Amino acid sequence: MTDIQADLARPLALARSPATEREQNVFTVLPWLYLAPALILLMMWTYVPLVQAFQLSFYQWNMLPTAPQRYVGLTNYQRLLALPEMRAALWNTLFYILGLFPMSVVIPLFVAIWTQDLTGRARTVYRALIFVPMIVAPVVAAVLWRWLLNEDQGLVTLGLEQLGFGRIGFLTDPKYALATLTWITGWKLIGFSTLLFSAANAGINPSYIEAARIDGATRWGIIRDLRLPLLSPTILLLSMMTILFGAQWSFAYINVLTNGGPLKSTTNIFYLLWEYGFQTLSAGWSSAAGMIAFAGFAVIAAGCLWLMKRFAVYDN
Amino acid sequence: MLRRTTLKLMATLASVAMTPLGALAEMPAAIDKPVTISFYNYNLASASAGADATRELLAMFEKKFPNIKVETIAVPSNEIMSRVQADIVAGRQPDVAQLVFRDLIYIASDLGANALEDMVNPEELKAHLTGMIPQGLELGKVDGKTYGLAYTFSTPILYYNADLFKQAGLDPDNPPKTWTDVDAAGRAIKEKAGKNGFFPGAYGPVDGTFVYQAIVMSNGGKVRDGNKLTFADTNAADAVKMLRGMVESGAHAKIDVASPSDTFAAGNLGMFLYTSAVYGSYKKAAKDKFDLRMAPMPSFGEKPTAPTNSGSALYVFSKDPEKQRAAYELLKFLTSKEAYTVITSKIGYLPLRLDIVDDPNYLASWVKENPMFRANLKQLDHLTPNIAFPGPNYRQVEKMMMDSVREAVFGTGDPSAVLTAAQDEGQSLMP
Repeated sequence: MTDIQADLARPLALARSPATEREQNVFTVLPWLYLAPALILLMMWTYVPLVQAFQLSFYQWNMLPTAPQRYVGLTNYQRLLALPEMRAALWNTLFYILGLFPMSVVIPLFVAIWTQDLTGRARTVYRALIFVPMIVAPVVAAVLWRWLLNEDQGLVTLGLEQLGFGRIGFLTDPKYALATLTWITGWKLIGFSTLLFSAANAGINPSYIEAARIDGATRWGIIRDLRLPLLSPTILLLSMMTILFGAQWSFAYINVLTNGGPLKSTTNIFYLLWEYGFQTLSAGWSSAAGMIAFAGFAVIAAGCLWLMKRFAVYDN
Repeated sequence: MLRRTTLKLMATLASVAMTPLGALAEMPAAIDKPVTISFYNYNLASASAGADATRELLAMFEKKFPNIKVETIAVPSNEIMSRVQADIVAGRQPDVAQLVFRDLIYIASDLGANALEDMVNPEELKAHLTGMIPQGLELGKVDGKTYGLAYTFSTPILYYNADLFKQAGLDPDNPPKTWTDVDAAGRAIKEKAGKNGFFPGAYGPVDGTFVYQAIVMSNGGKVRDGNKLTFADTNAADAVKMLRGMVESGAHAKIDVASPSDTFAAGNLGMFLYTSAVYGSYKKAAKDKFDLRMAPMPSFGEKPTAPTNSGSALYVFSKDPEKQRAAYELLKFLTSKEAYTVITSKIGYLPLRLDIVDDPNYLASWVKENPMFRANLKQLDHLTPNIAFPGPNYRQVEKMMMDSVREAVFGTGDPSAVLTAAQDEGQSLMP
């Protein structure tokens, strides 16, 4: 999974110390020395591979050092964009992201606000229950869901059959498979998001709430006019994470449960580029798919950051 | 740019330097000092009868050749190729690897496997290969040289659950012979026994293409002809349409393509067309649960069937003459009469030395106890080679083909149109 480090309490702009004008023109070695380990690692693991991937996306190569890398220009991109598989994967990626929203933002937000008022043991137990899916290893979770949803003996399938829904091929019917995988990915995320929202919610200065109560605000009024605006940085952060990483989080479940099937209904851009690279050993296609994803998500990330700056309310 | 030029230069220099050396260095006749060789094996990575039997074979080998130590690397069959390639890339030269036939051309041309004819002197090689079935040996050849020595072999076979046959009012002693029979039996099982009728192990991620190719070739089709893809041509497409027809009639189950094997072992599938190699595992799973039977693969009417091989060959990659000798001894042992006795009786692969089948020292008593295995042996006479794809993009082409087959069988579009579209797309990636 992708790590993200963000300052939840206040924006980076405020964290900066007031500009000091002195020694602007003197080059000092020491700060660079401190930065060096981080910079070197960042270059080595992020930027160098990025440049190499960009370069490889114009070549045809099967990753074997003895095999020649053949320059093919834009052919890899042309082929990929013409493949129906690629279009399906891009649509599915969008579906994953949209489908994850309720579970990564909406439900956790309400769970966090509503459980705020619970006290003592009830709150601990309730939060523990919500948080447990998050610490189950993805592959284990995938296998558990495979058993639960098995068409012939799965508990869920048999239960639904009793209720008169018939046998639903959750993982074998192209109509349901994508929704099933989105659900499993989201189910794992609820705990994480709830945790973040609970922390942010607990960080709201209680004197605001008290002041509002004294002024006669209703419970809903407090949520609408105080809590939600003050939670907005977290809401926007989690929304951005869902948009940028949501589809990546589904990788483990796709790989274990469906391999992108049935009939490619569950594949997404990340699974596809992995498949090109490491299943069919085509470095060029995989890099080109990676570049397409990179460019697309870079634009989206820029948009998200702009939105965050524009709409987040900070309690200063 | 500079780096690649340097690499090319180095490669050229290396090949110039290697040529006379390679010709001069001959393998020693015997191993007199301790040697360790690596053996990449996929049977060991399975949690089935295959792993135990392979360990048993290697123990026998090390006892026979105390100087040779075999270091095993267990990798599942769908990943073993990438692993061997990755290790070569990383500079860890594999010595012996068990790899499937679909990668043959690539292994010979790109991964640098040794041709046995170049490595072993002709009389010695001839002495060992005598008695092995020629159709099998033929499968490991590229341009007349043996790069892969046929090792474990199996053909697609129709496993069926005789209990479900009885529940569906079918005669378990008279298994389906043609696809029309399969369709009827599948529908009966679906309707009367309420279980899944038929499924071929042809669409899953570890299944490769051999079951699919066997069905296609039994109808006179072929997946490629030279460098031209032909999997959408009439006969091949008709075979796929037959499967689609069974999906529509309900005889062909619509289950998770990755786990028909589990479904069959759990007793929820009536007929399963799959490699005979898993017989040992099914026998265990079915014990005291259901009556497991086997029949030859079904045919298209009167046309003869074309059972293709699944399974693997052994490849030698060693560069050091000492290790080459050790590797060759391992190859010889693993394809000997005593090894095939273990391989056939404990795993379920075919013995590639047919003379041991009725030899009381080897398999005779086992075949008597397991008469159904004859169905598998019978198919050896008309064994048809599985067709591998050439060129650097062979895996993508294969994937496009299998994707289109899945789409044609389970999808809603016109099967011919789906196959034709994939064939045109794939053709542009052929050499």
